[in-house]
Amino acid sequence: MRRSWRRPVLFAVAGLLLLVVMSLLVGRVALPANTLMTLWRSDADPLAVLIITELRLPRTVLALLVGAALGLSGAVLQGLTRNPLAEPGLLGVSSGAALGAVIAIHTGLALIWPLATPLLGLAGAFGAALLTLTLGRGEGVLVLILAGSAVSGVMFAGTALALNLAPNPYAAYEISMWLMGSLADRSWDHVWLVAPFLLAGLLVLAGTGRALDALSLGEQQATSLGINLRSLRLQVLLGTALAVGAATAVAGAIGFIGLLAPHWVRPWVGHEPRRVLWPATVAGAALLLAADIGTRLLPFAQELKLGVLTVLVGTPFFVSLLLRLRRSAP
Amino acid sequence: MSLLQAQDVCVSLSGRPVLQTVSVAAHGGEFIAVIGPNGAGKSTLLTVLAGLLAPGRGTVHLDGRALSGYAPRELARQRAYLPQNPRCDWPLPVERVVALGLTPGLPAFGGFPPADQARIDTALQACDLYSRRQQSVTTLSGGELARTMLARALVGDPAILIVDEPIAGLDPRHALDAMRRLARLAHEEQRLVIAAVHDLTLALRYATRVWALSDGCLLADGPPATTLTAELLRELFDVAACVSGTGTSAYVDYA
Amino acid sequence: MIYRLWSVFCAGLLLVPQLSAAATPQRVMSLNLCADQLLLALLPEQRIVSLSWLSQTEGDPYWLTTAQRLPANHGTAEEVLAMQPDLVIAGAYTTSATRRLLARAGTPLLVLQPAQDWAGIRAVTRQVAAAVGERARGEQLLAQMDQTLLQLQQQSSPTPLRVIAWSGSGTDVPGRDTLFDAILTAAGAVNVGAAVAGRADFDLERLLQLRPEVLLRGAAYAATPSMRGEAVNHRVLRKLYAGAQLTYPEAVYGCGVPRAAQMALQLRQQLLAVKTRSSLP
Repeated sequence: MRRSWRRPVLFAVAGLLLLVVMSLLVGRVALPANTLMTLWRSDADPLAVLIITELRLPRTVLALLVGAALGLSGAVLQGLTRNPLAEPGLLGVSSGAALGAVIAIHTGLALIWPLATPLLGLAGAFGAALLTLTLGRGEGVLVLILAGSAVSGVMFAGTALALNLAPNPYAAYEISMWLMGSLADRSWDHVWLVAPFLLAGLLVLAGTGRALDALSLGEQQATSLGINLRSLRLQVLLGTALAVGAATAVAGAIGFIGLLAPHWVRPWVGHEPRRVLWPATVAGAALLLAADIGTRLLPFAQELKLGVLTVLVGTPFFVSLLLRLRRSAP
Repeated sequence: MSLLQAQDVCVSLSGRPVLQTVSVAAHGGEFIAVIGPNGAGKSTLLTVLAGLLAPGRGTVHLDGRALSGYAPRELARQRAYLPQNPRCDWPLPVERVVALGLTPGLPAFGGFPPADQARIDTALQACDLYSRRQQSVTTLSGGELARTMLARALVGDPAILIVDEPIAGLDPRHALDAMRRLARLAHEEQRLVIAAVHDLTLALRYATRVWALSDGCLLADGPPATTLTAELLRELFDVAACVSGTGTSAYVDYA
Repeated sequence: MIYRLWSVFCAGLLLVPQLSAAATPQRVMSLNLCADQLLLALLPEQRIVSLSWLSQTEGDPYWLTTAQRLPANHGTAEEVLAMQPDLVIAGAYTTSATRRLLARAGTPLLVLQPAQDWAGIRAVTRQVAAAVGERARGEQLLAQMDQTLLQLQQQSSPTPLRVIAWSGSGTDVPGRDTLFDAILTAAGAVNVGAAVAGRADFDLERLLQLRPEVLLRGAAYAATPSMRGEAVNHRVLRKLYAGAQLTYPEAVYGCGVPRAAQMALQLRQQLLAVKTRSSLP
């Protein structure tokens, strides 16, 4: 029996607003609590204005967009593969996007043409998704996960190789950022660069809801209901490539958000793929923003990478999912 | 009344001929049982008639138009198809699964129009599922799942219903139930029902016509009483069988 | 002070067996960028057998053409054994495996401790000059260095610029007691990085809070793109530090050689240019 809608929606909106406010107030430089109130006054502290408008606000916007992209693409991929374990990271999409972005940045292409980074990230994501979905076609979840592992591994090796070959002597240090993700020091430049692709991806993915619902009955029944499976797959591939490609190009490969967000909202909205889409988008945005705040809050001298926090939260969840499956499975 | 015609249909899968020059025709009001041994090509014939598989040679026409000429959604509104062992991969409530049958008529965005709720309720009641409409499909018994899928197929008010082994794995009561329902759909609602079945007795009792397939060839096409003879059954299934009784108490017995 | 004496003592200990044995080594090989720079200053080309590969790219531009004419090595023991020099000079981070191999081969090895200030530069220069038999030349170089330092001291401004060297997130900020600090101070600026050196949590927000007047960025980072180095290109920094961002050759700044005084002079000129451009007091 699904629980009622209204309270969770209000709760979600309030929670998201709270997270946004927190994100603007948390950072290395401590700002007084009433900063946000006094921000637009003429006598506002210029340092506070600078830090909030040029550093923390773009970072918050990026966290919301990237989280939304990951949450939605996770929900769509789970719907497409009818598998609750699917997510862009598992299918190698994130590492493919990282490979594309690394090539763009470290060959210097991004200096000549800034759009190269999100575009190559897109290409990498598309290629990886295509490869995984082709290799992993069939009824079994095992085949799909194996294919995703293989593609992920190859992409990761490619990324490491690209970084090794890069002319910058410090390039090898970059790999942790690419594999674990980070939103540190992002600016409005980054937002304008990737927002169009992220939003385009979100739009493309949002239109797959009806078809994914029909797909719950299996491929034959879905086709008999008038769904064009080929164009659905293409739509999912394109949307995921746009959304995850751009997200990874700006923030590195972030795992678990795409897996967690849909599962988190299912107790409230049910299992219909279409109903999960928008809530998963919002949940993904909230989760990633919370993780980003966590990296700034935790009292470690060096800023933790985003991926560390999402893994820390994701692993216990994974375990609880496994336990639940074991209990219900024969 | 709809007319479904297949003309000289040939299908090869992985180089192997599965259907060889099969020509059949059916119209609304008929309940056709497709019988034959495993691997005879029954499922393939059903998918070709449903328009889900394009034959290598030959054509299928619905109301005079080739199936390939129909847009997928247009065709989906006219005919419903259920594969063998239909299942739902997500633990959805029965009502939601039945509602999926309305997909061809729905836009990509937006929820269900309120009028549709009435159609869903009708379909649920017709299949005796109204009391279970919020139950998750993964917790249903075999019979209840079969009824749910049937309701899913019927909610869109299709003129043609093509079902692959609707009574596989059902206990006698539910098997009888399903066959009665299908017969009623054909007789009372003038729909065209084509079902592949293994239970010869039930086919004998409820179908209006029988198509017998063996090795991709159509061996017989006619009313069950005259078509299901001991010779045909021996040729089809390589078993010694005899048909006894008449009408609703007819049955097929094996030696 | 104690550290300096100790490092000279240790280096001396390593040299004693070699000095007592042979005459001036004619063929000298260097495995370390800083040693390269010293040899290039002290010796004629014919006496240098091989320099480390870094001097052909990261080294002082002053010696670049000369360095590119000489054979390069990658610091491996095989290359040393193949070239058979009379003396090998290496940095403090030469692996113990290499050291043991060279000891077994009987090749004289001089290990340089990195110099952290002008006194340290004097000690190291004298040490190497003595080892290669060019004491006079060494003194000449140091005299030039002292003259340049004096010149800089006389020209110092009453309002020194506040400068920090930052190459991006997670990179090292050079602090007090580093050669960078000595060069920067000689150039007449204040190293605000000294307050935050070694702090791993130093990021863009803290940089804005600190508000130095000039940003120095490592040339290697500036030359090739990276995500880490991206932070320096942040919109905010581009806006606030337009015309007040400089690159400096951080590899050479880490070398305790007499030409460090020249580096300080060049830096001073660059900082003056920044000052006039932005019309700071």
